[in-house]
Amino acid sequence: MKDQLEDFVHRNREGFDDRDPSPKVWNNVEASLGLKNRSWFNSLVLWRAAAVFFMALSLYLLIPKEGMKDNSLAMKEFTDVEAFYIQQISNKVELIREFQANDGLNGFTHDFQQLEAMYLVLREEMKTRPSQKVKDALVLNLLVRIDLLNKQLQQLEEKKVTTEKEQRST
Amino acid sequence: MEQEVLNIHVDLIARCKAGDRDAHYQLYKMYSRSMFNVSYRITGTQEDAEDALQEAFISAFRNLVHYRADATFGAWLKRIVVNKSINVLKKRRHELIPEGEDWDIPEEEIQGDYKEELTIDRVKKAIEELPDGYRTVLSLYLLEGYDHQEIAEIMGITESTSKSQLNRAKGRLREKLTIRS
Repeated sequence: MKDQLEDFVHRNREGFDDRDPSPKVWNNVEASLGLKNRSWFNSLVLWRAAAVFFMALSLYLLIPKEGMKDNSLAMKEFTDVEAFYIQQISNKVELIREFQANDGLNGFTHDFQQLEAMYLVLREEMKTRPSQKVKDALVLNLLVRIDLLNKQLQQLEEKKVTTEKEQRST
Repeated sequence: MEQEVLNIHVDLIARCKAGDRDAHYQLYKMYSRSMFNVSYRITGTQEDAEDALQEAFISAFRNLVHYRADATFGAWLKRIVVNKSINVLKKRRHELIPEGEDWDIPEEEIQGDYKEELTIDRVKKAIEELPDGYRTVLSLYLLEGYDHQEIAEIMGITESTSKSQLNRAKGRLREKLTIRS
C-alpha cells in the first residue's frame, strides 16, 4: 500500500500541523471548567507581589539590626574616649596622692567619689541601652572629674609654692 | 527521555486533578496546536475545528480521572478530539458516508509518478478539497496513524468500507495533484 504520496506525508508529517486555534478556545475551556475563579492562587502577578512584599518586610526587619550595629560602633568609639580620659584621671589621682601623702589633705574626695559612683551607674546603662544621651552624660562625668582634679592639683600646687616660700623666708 | 516526558505528564495530570489552573494551561499549550490540526482536517473549517477542540479539552479535563497511563496522554486526548470532530461533522452533514455507493469493492490502486514534485501546500490543499468522508478516512489513516480497524470503530463503519474509502480518497487526491501539474 505504500506509495509516493504516503511516503511524502510521513516524511513531512510536521508540516501538516500548521494551523493555530484562536485564544478564545482556551478562554472558553477555562471558563467552562471554572478555573478562572481559582486563578488568583496560581497567578504569577500575585506571587510576584507576595515576593516583593516579603522582601520589603525582610528589609524592614533588618533595619533595627543595622541600628544595633551603629550602637556597637558608638560603643567602641566611646570606649576609646573613655580609655583616654580614665588614663588622664588616674594620672592626676596619682599626683594628688603624692601631695596628700605629703600633707594628708583630703578635701575633694567626697565629690569625686560621688561622681565615680554616678559614672558606674551610667556605664551600666550604656551597656544595656546604649544611646547618645548616656554617652554624653558619661563623657561629661569624666570631664567634670578631670576639672575637679585639675582644680585640686592647682590648689595643692599653690599650697606647695606658699609653704616653700614660707620655709625659705623662715 | 520518553520516561521523563511521561513523568512530567504524571505530575501535570496530578496537578490538574487538584484543580491547578497553570497545569491545565500547560497541557493545553502542549497539545492544542496538534489537536487543532487533527480537528481541522476532519471538520474542514476553522469554526467547527475550534468548537470540537474546545469540547474535547473540556471533556478531557473533566474526565482526567478516567485516564489510565496505559496509553500516552496524547493518544488518549487525540481520540477524544477525533470523536468530537466527527460529531461536529455529523451534525453539519446529515450523513458522513453516503449510502448507495458500493463501498466494499476496493478500487484498484493507481500507481505512477506525480508529474510535478509534491509540496506540503499542494498536498494539504488537495486533502482539504476532498469530500468529508474521504478526507476524514484519509486523514485518520495517513496523518493520525490509525489502522482500518480503529477507523472503523471511530466512524462506525466496517473495516472494508474504511479500506475502500481510503483507496477512493487516494485516487481522488492523485487525480487532483496530477491535473494541477
